[in-house]
Amino acid sequence: MVKQEQELDNRPDNTAFTQQRLPAWQPMLSAGIIIPGFVLIGLAFIGIGVALFVTSRSIQVLEIDYTGVAQDSPCFKCSDPNAKNCMCTMEFSIDSLFQGPVFFYYGLTNYFQNYRRYGVSKDANQLSGDLEYFTNPSDDCAPYVYDNNKPIVPCGSVANSMFNDTFKLFQIVNGARKQVPLDGKGIAWWTDYNVKYRNPNVTPLRNAFNGTVKPVFWSRPAYELDPTDPANNGFINQDFLVWMRRAALPNFRKLYRRITEGDFAEGLPAGNYSLEIAYNYPVLSFDGEKKVVFSNVSWMGGKNEFLGIAYLVIGSLCVVMSIVMLIVYAKFKFPEED
Amino acid sequence: MVEHNSEHLSLHSTMVKESFKSGLTWEVKANSRKHKQKKSFLCLHWGRYADNVVRSYKYSPLTFLPLTLFEQFQRAANLYFLLMVVMQCVPAISSIPWYITIIPLTTVLTVRGLKDLSNDMARRRSDSQINSRPCDVLISQSFNTVQWKDLCVGDVLRIHKDQVIPADLLLLCSSEPHSLCYVETADIDGETNLKYRQALSATHNELTSHPSEEALSAFDGVVLCEEPNNRLYSFRGQLQWRGKCLLLDSEHILLRGTVLRNTDFAYGLAIYTGADTKILRNCGKLKVKTTQTEKVFNQVVIGIVLSVLLAALLLAIGSGVFSSQVMSQTGVPSALVVNGNPVYTGFLIYWSYIILLSPAMPIALYISFEMIHTVHSLFIGWDLEMYWQPADRPAQARNTSLNEELGQVGYLLSDKTGTLTQNRLLFRQCCIAGEIYAPGLVEKLRGQQCPLSKQFLTALALCHTVMAEWKDGETPVYQAASPDEEALVGAARELGWAFLSRTRDFLVVSELGVTRQYQLLALLDFTSKRRRMSVLVREPEGGLKLYCKGADIVILERLQKDCPYQERIERALELFAEACLRTLCVAVRSVPEASWEQWSQTLAESAAMTTCDRDALLEKLYDQMERDLQLLGVTAIEDRLQEGVPETIALLQEAGLKVWVLTGDKKETAVNIGYSCKLLDPDTRLLEWQELRQILQSPDPQVSFFKARQTELWAADKEMAGAKTSVVLTGPELAEFDQRPEWGATFMRLAEQCQSVLCCRVTPAQKSEIVKLVRKHTGSITMSIGDGANDVNMIKTAHVGVGLAGVEGGQAVQNADFALSQFRFLQRLLLVHGRWSYRRISNFLRYFLFKTCSFALVHIWFGIFNGFSAQSLYETWFIALYTVSYTAFPTMCLAIFEQDVSAESSLKFPELYKCGPRQELSNPLMLSLSLLQAVYSSLVLFFIPFGVFYDTAVDFQTMAVTVAMAATFAATIEIVRLTRFWTKFSIAALCVSVSMLFICTRLCHSARLFQSSPVDYVFIGVSDKAFIDPVVWLTALLTAWTAVLPSVTAQALNVILTAHDKHKVHIITNQPVELRSKFKRGTSLRRSSYAISQDAGSGRIVTTRTSFHSTVLPGHEKVTASGTDQLGQL
Repeated sequence: MVKQEQELDNRPDNTAFTQQRLPAWQPMLSAGIIIPGFVLIGLAFIGIGVALFVTSRSIQVLEIDYTGVAQDSPCFKCSDPNAKNCMCTMEFSIDSLFQGPVFFYYGLTNYFQNYRRYGVSKDANQLSGDLEYFTNPSDDCAPYVYDNNKPIVPCGSVANSMFNDTFKLFQIVNGARKQVPLDGKGIAWWTDYNVKYRNPNVTPLRNAFNGTVKPVFWSRPAYELDPTDPANNGFINQDFLVWMRRAALPNFRKLYRRITEGDFAEGLPAGNYSLEIAYNYPVLSFDGEKKVVFSNVSWMGGKNEFLGIAYLVIGSLCVVMSIVMLIVYAKFKFPEED
Repeated sequence: MVEHNSEHLSLHSTMVKESFKSGLTWEVKANSRKHKQKKSFLCLHWGRYADNVVRSYKYSPLTFLPLTLFEQFQRAANLYFLLMVVMQCVPAISSIPWYITIIPLTTVLTVRGLKDLSNDMARRRSDSQINSRPCDVLISQSFNTVQWKDLCVGDVLRIHKDQVIPADLLLLCSSEPHSLCYVETADIDGETNLKYRQALSATHNELTSHPSEEALSAFDGVVLCEEPNNRLYSFRGQLQWRGKCLLLDSEHILLRGTVLRNTDFAYGLAIYTGADTKILRNCGKLKVKTTQTEKVFNQVVIGIVLSVLLAALLLAIGSGVFSSQVMSQTGVPSALVVNGNPVYTGFLIYWSYIILLSPAMPIALYISFEMIHTVHSLFIGWDLEMYWQPADRPAQARNTSLNEELGQVGYLLSDKTGTLTQNRLLFRQCCIAGEIYAPGLVEKLRGQQCPLSKQFLTALALCHTVMAEWKDGETPVYQAASPDEEALVGAARELGWAFLSRTRDFLVVSELGVTRQYQLLALLDFTSKRRRMSVLVREPEGGLKLYCKGADIVILERLQKDCPYQERIERALELFAEACLRTLCVAVRSVPEASWEQWSQTLAESAAMTTCDRDALLEKLYDQMERDLQLLGVTAIEDRLQEGVPETIALLQEAGLKVWVLTGDKKETAVNIGYSCKLLDPDTRLLEWQELRQILQSPDPQVSFFKARQTELWAADKEMAGAKTSVVLTGPELAEFDQRPEWGATFMRLAEQCQSVLCCRVTPAQKSEIVKLVRKHTGSITMSIGDGANDVNMIKTAHVGVGLAGVEGGQAVQNADFALSQFRFLQRLLLVHGRWSYRRISNFLRYFLFKTCSFALVHIWFGIFNGFSAQSLYETWFIALYTVSYTAFPTMCLAIFEQDVSAESSLKFPELYKCGPRQELSNPLMLSLSLLQAVYSSLVLFFIPFGVFYDTAVDFQTMAVTVAMAATFAATIEIVRLTRFWTKFSIAALCVSVSMLFICTRLCHSARLFQSSPVDYVFIGVSDKAFIDPVVWLTALLTAWTAVLPSVTAQALNVILTAHDKHKVHIITNQPVELRSKFKRGTSLRRSSYAISQDAGSGRIVTTRTSFHSTVLPGHEKVTASGTDQLGQL
């Protein structure tokens, strides 16, 4: 017996795996599963679509273009590239309470922040506070690595092109201007503020920047970005962080401030408002537009009608397909099924 | 004496010169080991004579790395990716970091290299096994045992009985009279009958002495012959010895690989060794076979690469235009135009886009493809249903890259002997004096004392060319040139008429224990034209008898008038033919002394003639003698089929395969086997050469073919609407195709209409010619199956070659892609493994194409919205891990476990196989559809997130994660849709890969990794926010569902439209395979054939052999009583 077993040592193993007899679930698709399945998926999509659409409708959005292309625009005078330190004021009114908290965005169009060579043009090591890279920035930052043979900090196109318009919002109450407090804290991502971007561990901060120069387009060096708040300077300046987080598409918005304080915690009451703009950022050279956007948010973030409509369309398509299938099924297969 | 010697030398040198002129340039000096051995170091070779070492391995430790790299980079795909890696190292164009491609590329190279290495090790092992076989070489006057590899040209060898001959030898002498010796050439031409070789009489006379060592070591002949070549059946040369020049031909040569039989010793001089031997010259290089699917797929990949290049070009132009626009402005990006030159920027962007879009050409595909093939091959080896217990031999996939081809075979070209048949003939029935003796009636027959049956058995015992050999003294062992004769003589022995021995003039037969000696007066030999043979003997009592056996037609027309039982015997013939037995008629004639004397005189005269009409004269003379015969009876021999052959052929034909038989045997035998294995139905009309030729020559072959069929239809049976036709061809007729190449296409068109084609008397070369013909004109996948070395050629030529591991040999298996033990395992190999493999691999390829293209082409659309800047829409880590881990495991499960129907159903419904040969799943159209689907998906993958995120505060990195999620989800939904067979592994794989997406993404976005290398992990913190953002999730889900919606809908519609048929396959479980052909016969068809593999001329050896050493007959009595093993089978 033993001998016989030895002789058969080439015999394959009789296991479910080797014999390809693994127990398996073989779902048998049939019209009875597929058609209701399609209906269910379609209905679910329509449901989501309706929810998104309704939510999106409830979000209030106010957009104000201040590029100043049109001659009658208050900012027309500032759109001239030669104008320096130009200020313009946009007036607008709100009919009913703009439900708070209100988010205050600035928006740019035709601006390719997603251009590869633009996006690459920064030095992650430098921005994480590594002093070695202050004196010796990465070549990735080209063409903004050195200015007059001095290293630029922060180097690169992204930092260099930082958005530098500033806004002040006033409510006009009985002819008097009442400034709306704008909250600039926590508008950047937590990880950006705490991990990704770090200031070098040097006090005062400006000493870290010895031997470096500010980016070409900047009017102030990085350690003086926010004169009002010494903690909001260097690489962890909130506006800087928001700008450094590149937009996905050429038309984009970026969060500027939140309106959450004082009398405006509930939102912007109905009335007339005046937006004072320090117009610095040139966009006409690339056919861009600038705007400010006031919006409140819901569980789905900002207003987004596209998503809701897309859900509705696809959901309806599924339902229509299920009806088509039902017709096909009834026509071709019904007599045989019993 | 000195003078004599120099004269001798000069004579030798002039002879050598002459020989050189005639092309005999290969010089071998006996007993001299001073020949220049071929040596080689690296790529340099010198020396002329190969050593006797088989080297089939490729690598040495030194050459492995360069060689394997060289081989692998010959694959276009690998080279392409190497190029990608190089390009990614150039900072100006690197849109993805270099490590993204190098990791998969090194994996591919390593796995492939290791596989090649292990194959090479296996080859080394088998080589060394062959090289270390022992053989006896004459060294300084005595025979020493050395290994094969130490054998040199010029050595004198002693070959023992049953030893494999180690090199091509010149036979010097043998232990047998006249230095005859017998060899079995099964390993060379697949024929199992013995062939004889004879030494030159000069060497025989001089060297046969005892002890032979002395004479042999003094032998100093020089052989001059042609350079090594691959012609197995010819040899030209001369032996110069003692001043004489003796001509040599192939009858004096023992080829390497043949086996010495029936001869105690043979002495030979090694002429060609190792790589110079005829058999190794014949092996040829093993061509690397690639499958049809792979070819189609490669074309598609080339198409993808071209499209990628084109897309990159368009995008680069776009980039140039964009740059020049930006240049005219003073904004931020204008500074980014390289060197301020839009054209140069566009040029760089072109390369960047090639890199960025390169994932569309899937590198992981090739490695996965290889793994899947390997697993499928393992499954074949593991299959218990294809395991042959008696030989302890499982099926074996020797070539692991042809699996899906098994599911597409359109033509099966089969050898006959040893493949369809067992090459074992059994005496099944006989009819004596109108009485049929079927199995079980043996005892009755043995007890029969009727004179006719005695004469019948005497005829069987006398009329043959069999030789008897006494091995252990119990029973004689018969050696026959044809298995038919062996079966008949063996049967006669079992029935009491034991043929004991033969000498030149006498035949000794023990008739029921009484030894009688017949004087052999003449042997009227068999030829394929005569289709009969006779012996003329003088009985011990003194009477002259002519015993004749032959095909029924020839015998029946030579009978005396009013032969008794003729009608009953003819009926028996029909009965036997119906049972697919091979029949022979046996007849006798009493010859008057006077007529014999006259006849023998004329015979002697004509035999002495040397003119060419001698043969015709002899034939006429034989004809005179073989007349007025008295019919004794009919023998019925069964050519045993391999187990399950008819069922397998029927099943394969139902599956739509065309089964052709290519055999070296005679037409009759082949047709007979065709009937018995159900390849031909009883009502099949045979279309033979004459008719076929007319059809081929007619202006419109198709019409004439149908016309020919039509008339037959009307003539035979109107109700048989499905009249079938089979073409029967022979080798010489096939040779005409060489002259008329235009017939090939026409013939194949006709053959497609036919049930089958039988090709008989074809040489190995012709077999492969036929395979080539089919390959060329049909575009179908061909499969060859055979067991002998004569099938090697066609096995190599066909798309898929199957070798049957027979009792001996192994040449076929060595060269085959798949090795089976039984013909019937073909059912499972094709219908189960082949079909599954085909479905799995086609689905896998199409899915892979969809997966990678839909994922990579997104960059084209994104390019339009990022200034054509070759910005990647994904995180680099996602690109690296997407094909490798996020979508790989369920795909592998699909390609390994998927079963649309079970193995049992596959065999029950052979029609299911038909989608393979039609290439329904892998044709370019299907692949293009997948590509189209991929393009659609890539559009959806980009534009839905685009719509959602347009003019919002969502940043690039969040969008990247969203699109990545959507792409993975779409690929996952698609694999769920395709998987119809959910094993626990499939479910686990699905869960693992989806969770891998989240785990790996979180890991790559973690702060810890960022701190270790801020440049490589720039996506820090993105997934923390994205994975809890409902908009991201809703967008990803919507995108994924929309991306797969068309394919899901198409499948749903397909299910609804075909639900009925599919259900049937799954529900019906009990329907036995029916043989389509039943025994139903309108007309009687007799099939008589004789001596299947017997060549004309074996009579000559038998009669010229002066004495046989087997005249000692121990224990005659035992003979009759013993050995009922064959009877047991009756």
